[in-house]
Amino acid sequence: MAPLAPVTAVRASALVQRFGTQVAVGPLDLDLPAGARLAVLGGNGAGKTTLLRMLATVARPASGRLEVLGLDAVRQRDRLRARVGYLGHQVGLYPALTALENLEFFAALHGLEPRHARDALALVRLAPLARTRAERLSRGQQQRLALARAVLHRPELLVLDEPDASLDAEGRGLLGGLLEGRTAVLATHDTALARDLCDRAVLLRAGRVAGDPWALRVVGG
Amino acid sequence: MRFLSIALAVARKDVRCELRGRELLPALAQFIVLALVIANFAFDVDLVQGPRLSPGILWLVLVFAGLVAFGRAFAAEKDSGSLEAMLLTPAGATAVFAGKAAAAAAMLVACEAVLLPAMAIFLGSPISPLVVGTVLLATIGMAALGSLFAALAAQTRARELLLPVLALPIWVPFVVVGGRAVQLAMAGQSPSTLPLAGQPLLVLADFDILFLVVACLAARFVLDD
Repeated sequence: MAPLAPVTAVRASALVQRFGTQVAVGPLDLDLPAGARLAVLGGNGAGKTTLLRMLATVARPASGRLEVLGLDAVRQRDRLRARVGYLGHQVGLYPALTALENLEFFAALHGLEPRHARDALALVRLAPLARTRAERLSRGQQQRLALARAVLHRPELLVLDEPDASLDAEGRGLLGGLLEGRTAVLATHDTALARDLCDRAVLLRAGRVAGDPWALRVVGG
Repeated sequence: MRFLSIALAVARKDVRCELRGRELLPALAQFIVLALVIANFAFDVDLVQGPRLSPGILWLVLVFAGLVAFGRAFAAEKDSGSLEAMLLTPAGATAVFAGKAAAAAAMLVACEAVLLPAMAIFLGSPISPLVVGTVLLATIGMAALGSLFAALAAQTRARELLLPVLALPIWVPFVVVGGRAVQLAMAGQSPSTLPLAGQPLLVLADFDILFLVVACLAARFVLDD
């Protein structure tokens, strides 16, 4: 029998991230129900990226507890990674490989068949550029390709750090489709985009929850 | 099985990127030829001295070519963010490391394919199958350790400085034992005539197994922690 989907997608309690002696995030409490879409807002250096990196298991929290999709984000991160899609600041593509080869490579790492790469490419409307090397794509097209990589394995939770960077209107229009049916956490400076895509938001200031800009269900630390 | 298929996919990707980008191999080939030309003038090598000096020159050039080849293996991926993207898949850091080490070893083998014939031309070194076998055997362990330290150095800002400081002392056993084996082979002696415990090829094989296991065990902590 397939395991039941967790009711809570993200549960953080007293979550802290430090760089040296400086506290970058926290202490922070957060509860995100499955299927919800959370926008993380805040100025530069507010801790958005640091928070997202912890949620995506890129970085380990310095202290506190973080549960993602019912799994411990530190101890069970290997299992978790198959269920989370992440897009960071860098596109992380291979310039010498074509758009399709880039995705096929990541499909192989996920243990997926190459057809998943074609599906993901079509999802971001880059199918006509499948045979174009990543280095010859525009910055916006590279961002779309990186988005395709993030959703390649059909993750339950999507963690996107400024996904709209360099995207044109068509590209931004694709974001809604990519988030559909998934729990999502995205950091952005664009409040209008956050309103379009998300049903709740949290405002970070100096690593702490400074308020809920839309007065929605976020528990601040 | 999955470990192997992932390692193979990573290695294939690295080799494909290098063949298309042609960033490393042409520069390394030039470095090798230049190093041999300099050695030729610096040691005033003639046909009598050449074979005697060859083992030392071979390992010197190989070690420095290795530093360049392994240094690139992780640094470029770390800077572009693709290493992070790979590690966020369920592939596992050890399999990713094994693939990258295999690709780095393939680069070093390509260097050796330039180095050995060039040594025969410039220094008159007698390159026998035994010399080739010894160098290939040493390449496995050197690649495992070199890639591990390259992964470690890539996490730091002073990576160009850190990699030689870490790798060179640990490569010394390969240079000592490999140098002895190449010396014997170039002198026309078979290392198998030595007592079993002193056979350099066996010692090199032992080093390979030891350092492969150590590097694979340590890779997860270096890459993903």
